Amino acid sequence: MMGQFVFRNLFHRPVRTLIGVVAIAFEVMLVIVIVGLTSGMLQETAKRIEGIGADVMVQSPGAQMFMVMGSAPMPIKIGEKIRELRYVQYVSPALLQFNTSGGVETIWGIDQVSFRDVSNGFVFYEGRDLQDPDDMLVDDWQARAKHVKLGDTYSLLNHSWKVVGIVEHGKAGRIFVPITSLQELVGGRDKATIFLVRCTRPEHTPDVIAEIKDLLPNYPVRPVKEFMTLMTSTNIPALHTFINSMIALAVSIGLLVIFLSMYTTVLERTRDIGVLKSLGASKFLIIRALLAEATLLSLLGILAGVCLSYVVRAGSQKLFPTLSILITPEWIIRAALIAIIGALVGASYPAWQASRKDAVEALSYD
Amino acid sequence: MAITVTIRTNSTGITEPEFKTLEPILKIENVWKLYHAGKVEVPALRGVNFEVLPGESVAVMGPSGCGKSSLLYVIGGLAKASRGKVLVDGNDLVAMNDAERTKLRRHKIGFVFQRFNLLPALSAKGNIAIAQYIHGDGFDPHRFDVVTKMLGLDGRLEHRPSEMSGGEQQRVAIARAIINEPKILLADEPTGNLDTKNSEIVLEMLRRLNKDLGQTIVMITHNPEATTYFDRVVHMRDGVIVDGVPAD
Repeated sequence: MMGQFVFRNLFHRPVRTLIGVVAIAFEVMLVIVIVGLTSGMLQETAKRIEGIGADVMVQSPGAQMFMVMGSAPMPIKIGEKIRELRYVQYVSPALLQFNTSGGVETIWGIDQVSFRDVSNGFVFYEGRDLQDPDDMLVDDWQARAKHVKLGDTYSLLNHSWKVVGIVEHGKAGRIFVPITSLQELVGGRDKATIFLVRCTRPEHTPDVIAEIKDLLPNYPVRPVKEFMTLMTSTNIPALHTFINSMIALAVSIGLLVIFLSMYTTVLERTRDIGVLKSLGASKFLIIRALLAEATLLSLLGILAGVCLSYVVRAGSQKLFPTLSILITPEWIIRAALIAIIGALVGASYPAWQASRKDAVEALSYD
Repeated sequence: MAITVTIRTNSTGITEPEFKTLEPILKIENVWKLYHAGKVEVPALRGVNFEVLPGESVAVMGPSGCGKSSLLYVIGGLAKASRGKVLVDGNDLVAMNDAERTKLRRHKIGFVFQRFNLLPALSAKGNIAIAQYIHGDGFDPHRFDVVTKMLGLDGRLEHRPSEMSGGEQQRVAIARAIINEPKILLADEPTGNLDTKNSEIVLEMLRRLNKDLGQTIVMITHNPEATTYFDRVVHMRDGVIVDGVPAD
């Protein structure tokens, strides 16, 4: 009976219910998509780093693991010293430049010869490798997203590049230019952001890491194979804070909407509450009924929010093919719990108020 | 206290009277109800004394503002008397806290209001069943059928209040009030929002409840004709009962 009562009450005011459901759906969608977007970007970046085929990656002191956000260059000569270490087969420097004009992208300045050695080269769908200073390679996803064709001119960093090759995605970045050209453009002559190291045999990786750490004590040295597990938002403090802030914002919206919805519900149902009291309903029963209603509202919102998240992901993949949104069951459950707890917190004050209403006043309420 | 006399035939075939004392189901002693308007105390009831026997039907009449509704709310435990004693089936409501009064109301009191006060989201069936749910014994289909048939609601049970006439709504409200077999049925102007025909139907149903099932009823009314359906009429004025006379 209580279920029926709650259900009927919820659908007695369909517009208000719809607004509540939509608000919670947005809350859930925001949590899932924001987390999915950051996780997707991290995972996608990690996959591409792993996809290079290097065994070890060296960054400058203070560099972020999530490299796309900062260049923090090192002298390129460090690469020569690393090359001299035992079990090191190849070393390739790369200069990474984050660009936000006309989209968000990381430009990889590479030394095409050493990069080929470390990575076994690109798989070319069209065109050829970098040869001239203005040459540019793009991967197939970037080409599709930006509608770029072989031979097109691509403007980046106030410079016109010529697209000379379209390569298979999944290796390092999406845009590659000669490292020397990028160094000139960004004022980083003889600088590199990372060094990609290939060992003579993969099992020598720990030895090579140890030797590099001896040589460059303050430099982060990481095995590339572990990059995927390290690339989580919790390992990137600023990103973690950003995600938490976004979640807090989403929860606040949901909480306020539920509060407002249940508050107006209680006001509107003042007389009904008086009737329930006249029938002998306890305070606990009235609180339970309203909290159950908020829970049901949030469950509908969660369902809609999860569906909406998949719709947003599908839309995003169509509009921005290079953006990856990773929707995981873990975060769906977390978002659902956040929404339910938010709904219960938002509804608890109106429910408590309802339970304390004076029965006689409530019965004479118009 | 009242004395009832029953004529019985004993084992030897001789008829003899049997005397039995009858305790009032409702007893009000010197009840005051004060409302506060700012710092001013406004008395709604000023030392009311009143008794109702089990199975009795009593109509309370009086001008607007004389304290009739306050009396009903105090009897039903919706409002607490400021002073005095309100004994419902031997339980003093004045000595009880809110939760205890709620519990007593759930088990011993049924309310019928002038404005029907049905829950708009629920069907007629839902409105009646929720009283059973709150009572705590769950849905009793047998009792439900008996009550709804008696009140002529069989064909209207799936309708919502907005789809029913005033008379039908009030019959649903009566069904809701009596579904848990309360000791006392309290009716606050139950015909106040009804036309003459529906008023008569509702009053006749209340009379049948009283006569056929022995339901104790206390009803507030403005309508002198309505009092003819009741055993006794009491008049109130300025927060006190001024007389109590048997109805014609």
